[in-house]
Amino acid sequence: MGEARVLRLGRFSRVVAWRAWCRVVAALLVVLLILLASLALGEAALSAPQWLAALRSPDSGAGLILWQLRLPRTLLGALVGAALALSGWLLQQVMRNPLASPDTLGVTAGAATLAVGYLAFLAADVGTAWMPLAAALGALLAVLLVMLAAWRGGTTPLRLVLMGIGLSTLLSAVTTFVLVSSPLTTTLSAYVWLTGSVYGGNWSDVGWLAACFGVALVVLMPWVRLALLAPLDDGLAVGIGVRVQWTRTLLILLAAGLAGIAVAWGGAMAFVGLVAPHVARRLLRQPGAAQIAMAVVVGAGMTMAADLAGRLLFPPLDLPAGLFVAAIGTPFFLGLMMKQAR
Amino acid sequence: MKRRDFMALALGAMPTLALGAMPTLARAGMARQEEPRRPRRPQRIVTLFQGATDTAVALGVVPVGVVLSWQDPPIYPYLRSALAQASLLGLETQPNLERIALLEPDLIVASRFRHQRIAPLLSALAPLTLLEDIYHYRYTLETMAQTLDRQARAESLQRVLASRMATLRARLQQRFGARWPLTVALLDIRAGEIRSYLAPSFGGSVLTQLGFRWPRQVEGHAGVLLRLGGVESLPAIDADVFFLLQPRDRPAREHYRRLRGHPLWQRLAAVRQGRVWQVDPVAWSLSGGILGVFGMLDDLDAWLDTTEASA
Repeated sequence: MGEARVLRLGRFSRVVAWRAWCRVVAALLVVLLILLASLALGEAALSAPQWLAALRSPDSGAGLILWQLRLPRTLLGALVGAALALSGWLLQQVMRNPLASPDTLGVTAGAATLAVGYLAFLAADVGTAWMPLAAALGALLAVLLVMLAAWRGGTTPLRLVLMGIGLSTLLSAVTTFVLVSSPLTTTLSAYVWLTGSVYGGNWSDVGWLAACFGVALVVLMPWVRLALLAPLDDGLAVGIGVRVQWTRTLLILLAAGLAGIAVAWGGAMAFVGLVAPHVARRLLRQPGAAQIAMAVVVGAGMTMAADLAGRLLFPPLDLPAGLFVAAIGTPFFLGLMMKQAR
Repeated sequence: MKRRDFMALALGAMPTLALGAMPTLARAGMARQEEPRRPRRPQRIVTLFQGATDTAVALGVVPVGVVLSWQDPPIYPYLRSALAQASLLGLETQPNLERIALLEPDLIVASRFRHQRIAPLLSALAPLTLLEDIYHYRYTLETMAQTLDRQARAESLQRVLASRMATLRARLQQRFGARWPLTVALLDIRAGEIRSYLAPSFGGSVLTQLGFRWPRQVEGHAGVLLRLGGVESLPAIDADVFFLLQPRDRPAREHYRRLRGHPLWQRLAAVRQGRVWQVDPVAWSLSGGILGVFGMLDDLDAWLDTTEASA
């Protein structure tokens, strides 16, 4: 590990892979470019001086477009993508399965069922404001159910995946049933949610999601070391002193929580959670903090780019970002896989 | 807590603090917006659902921006000449906010039902009138007349409508005599299902005002519409008259063709008595405004002309 250095602060020490972090910073710069593009491009074409003026005066007409329309929605997209990517990375570690994602554990399906149910039966009376709560609750309930069903004196990744897929299928059926039997008007908003969209994101959404994401990060920080050990065989992990079941449960709940809040605000675009960690792994082989950061950055960049595309490509339509996550993400993903196969 | 854990926590706190700054930024962003001033008589208005567009045109305030229509996009044929200059703002469910901002409207008319989520953003862009729902044409008319300061125009529209309805009611009574009031069903046959719009729906409310009655099976039903999965539930919609929204595409026409051959369909009262009348879906269901109601009345007059000629 010639590229790693040790950082010492009194009795605290860390191995820091400088090269890897340089790549993360490079990726971050690309994401910042996407952010700039998201702020600069849109229906309202602004010249460079106009744009700078608008940036400085949030109350002017153009400033309003920048500060109230473009920035919050872009940040919301970034947060949604980041949370999903982190969740996906954690799950792929813990499940020892490259195909694991928030979908596999029933997170998305659970969130979708409750969100659509809320839209169909409650939204007319209560308003749509509490929908994120319903979605997050659905995600968490689904995961708890999966863990409970898979528990037999402990869980194994395989049982979890099977239970997760089973429950997802069941819940999708429930969602479809609700969609079919609900009034036509909710169906439309439900489909937009199911595709995944950060349309109409405002500052209060950004604030809430950022706060939830922040809390999840704080909880996660001390346990990242264990997430790095999760791919080890159970026996080996026990041998080096990991409390396997406890760690697994904690990490899965955290991952579910992260995906839950992301899906609550961004809709069911969990594909990010599958692809972003893979992209990060292709860019950075060594598992570690840098790889996690890379996954988060890639996830944020993906959703931001997708939302930008949804906003720009088919005016005056403002299409859900979820469409383009798949449309942009898949070719990129396949390209990386093919390059590696060669 | 071990010191190492503490340090890890401290390191973890850094990105968290950065994220924590976002809510603060958010609050600053929200505090900055102040309620835009609401003019007494708005001129540049933007309407974000079909009923509002229809009503605005009826009130003589042509919107500068409208959302795409559900059928015959971008704009319903009956509004096309009036709205020749209007900008298109995308879908009713997801209007393009930047385009709205660029239009610099002095009033946005939206509905809580559709646009609650974006209401904070809309009200930052321009004064916002948020209607509770989208299919009560009279409520839309009265609310919009008030916000647009066109009460006189609205009252004269209501008077014309009331007198036309009275004429039509008398004509219906005369035509059907002792059999009046007839029971009615407003049907929409689609590729995979049959929808029956009920009394609270847009078209249903007009039929009720004209004196039509609803079959006992659906009388007092709270929902806007009933969805029928298959032919077996056809008896649930049995009525003396069927107004059938013209099937809009090939699969729907095909469905209707198959349905007409079915014995259960042929046993329905309206079918046996030859009282199935195809009507314009835009006027009868999609328009949601008072101009649409006038369109419905025209259709009903035409229907009476035909039945009287054949009688």
